[in-house]
Amino acid sequence: MRRLWEIVMGRLSVDRPSPALKQLPTAVAFAAATITAISVPSILITSPYAVIVGSVFMTIATIVALYFTRQVTYDRWWALIVPGLSLTAIAFLRVGTGGITSLFGSLIILPMVWIATERGRRWIAVSMFGASAALMLPYVVNWRAPADASEWLRGVVGPIVYGITAAIINEMSRQSRKQYVAIRDLARQREALLDEAMAGAQALAVNEERLRAADRLTRSVLDAVTEQAVIGTDLTGLIDVWNPGASVMLGLAPDETQGKRYMFEFHLEEELEARAKELSYPPGATVLNPGFSALVESARLGRAEVRDWVYVRNDGSQLSVSVAVTPRSDEQGVTIGYIFVATDVTQALEVSRLKDEFVGLISHELRTPLSSILGYLELMRDDEESPLSTEQMQYLGVAERNAHRLLRLVGDLLFTAQVSSGRFPLDVSLVALGDVVNASVISAKPNAANAGVDLVLDGSVKSIVVRGDAVRLGQACDNLISNAIKFTPRGGTVTVSVGTNAEDAIITVRDTGMGIPASELDQLYARFFRASTATRNAVPGVGLGLTITKAIVTAHEGELDVESEEGVGTAFSLSLPLPRKVAA
Amino acid sequence: MTETSRQPRVVIADDDADIRALVAIAVDRAGFDLVASAEDGTQAYAAILEFRPDMVVLDVSMPGMTGLEVSRLVRNDIALDDTMIVMLSAAVDEQSRDAGFEAGASHFLSKPFSPRELAIRLSDLMPAS
Repeated sequence: MRRLWEIVMGRLSVDRPSPALKQLPTAVAFAAATITAISVPSILITSPYAVIVGSVFMTIATIVALYFTRQVTYDRWWALIVPGLSLTAIAFLRVGTGGITSLFGSLIILPMVWIATERGRRWIAVSMFGASAALMLPYVVNWRAPADASEWLRGVVGPIVYGITAAIINEMSRQSRKQYVAIRDLARQREALLDEAMAGAQALAVNEERLRAADRLTRSVLDAVTEQAVIGTDLTGLIDVWNPGASVMLGLAPDETQGKRYMFEFHLEEELEARAKELSYPPGATVLNPGFSALVESARLGRAEVRDWVYVRNDGSQLSVSVAVTPRSDEQGVTIGYIFVATDVTQALEVSRLKDEFVGLISHELRTPLSSILGYLELMRDDEESPLSTEQMQYLGVAERNAHRLLRLVGDLLFTAQVSSGRFPLDVSLVALGDVVNASVISAKPNAANAGVDLVLDGSVKSIVVRGDAVRLGQACDNLISNAIKFTPRGGTVTVSVGTNAEDAIITVRDTGMGIPASELDQLYARFFRASTATRNAVPGVGLGLTITKAIVTAHEGELDVESEEGVGTAFSLSLPLPRKVAA
Repeated sequence: MTETSRQPRVVIADDDADIRALVAIAVDRAGFDLVASAEDGTQAYAAILEFRPDMVVLDVSMPGMTGLEVSRLVRNDIALDDTMIVMLSAAVDEQSRDAGFEAGASHFLSKPFSPRELAIRLSDLMPAS
């Protein structure tokens, strides 16, 4: 009941009541008054016609109210015709039930409230005049002026009271409307905020799902890596990521290591100490712990590093690994830990060892028969009892030359195998570079003369001294000069020069040969690579000379550069650091 | 007879017969007395014990015992203190050379070799008296 009251009164007050609903109290009160007037004998009906006219007006008012209610849109101003008609109906009811003495004057307040609740102060006046007109109608119908002061008071003071009431209602209505608008705005804001919150929640859910998917992907990738150990640590080396590959490699499950073990526990102490020494850590230096710092030194500086280490398994056994260390960063780019990706290289090392062994064996097996060939050829040449004819000596020379060629090839193969396996010892001392180059030029002279190439040593070079292996540097010079002669047509020139710049000694071997296509320059130092100009012109060789030269230069911390133009010539520059640079 | 006995006595060992023959020629040209020519390490050591030579020319890679093993056995025998060991190897790298000297070799020569030069080197090492 209370709820019904709230709904009806609420709708009648501010919630855009329909004209029919607004008219309802008036129509009901009018009907009740009319029935009361007819049924109560003490109430005198002075003019039945006026009552009938009043009822007709009220009926029309109610019908008009219903009409406006049925319209989807209507003009509020025109709708005010309904309380106007109601006031008229009440005025006629008053006329029919005693005129100015009628009991039903108070009904006027109902349509008056309707008018007074309209927006704008002018409706206070309208409602007041409407009420006054309704009160004055009995005087108009009876065609007489108020007889005494009390009648004047009734006709004039009454409307004033109604006017004050209308003003109060109008103001209250205005306040209510204001509050209603404020509440409606708040409700809209609340709805907007709610929508925003919902959208935020949805976005959050989507992001959460994305994060979960990314996490699943990362986990599945980590789990899929079974041949490599992927281990993550924080800045102190405490393990927090341990993939199945790590479990297989080191014999511990993730729950045995994550948050419990430190990375350096899986390393050989002596290896960590040696690395710390290599990095010149002062004795007793502790950046958390020196062993771990030695492990992540490059990664700590933001660089990835790949290095060979020995891991110690849980059962104490050891295995050789190649470990790539990279830093882990948070969203601000601050390093929060490290990732270690370890690959078991035991097998690779074994393969490399077997390869070296094989190359050594092959080399031995080739050198032994070559020893016989060259030895017996020499015996034939030296045989004084039955000397060879000139022609036979020529044939012998060809056989010897080719045997020596084969021997050089075997030597080169053995040397490249040593380079690739890292076994490349240098017998370092101070070397007079001029002597080395001079010796190479002198030993290449006969070759150059045979090929019809002019071999020139440009300028004086005796004063330049570098630190290096004289034999290997001589080998590098021999290779460059021999190549230049091979690639230079008869009548061309090979110029060898030695000079220095601020930091390096530079040997340059320049020829006027066939040149190397620009597209092939970056492959020159690959094993067994032969330039197309070499194969096209049937220049002998197997493609090891430059590989060896490059390896020698690199081992001396030098550089080998080439400039070439097809059909014009090639210049190789071999730079070696001068002693003060090495000392620095 | 007396003159022959003053010639340095030499044992050579190599698993390759052609090389053995070549070394034998060089030994002969050096004016030495070739007392035994062994085709593996075991034979070589037996010959050394038997003839107590002044010089042994040993190949490094041989079946049975390697030249390095024979060299170590010789160096451990006080009675063979004066025996000169010349190692002849197809390996030319520093490590092989170092291994030869560590095993007790007096000289390390690499293959291939010139018989003429080998004869000169041998006679330089131990001039015939």
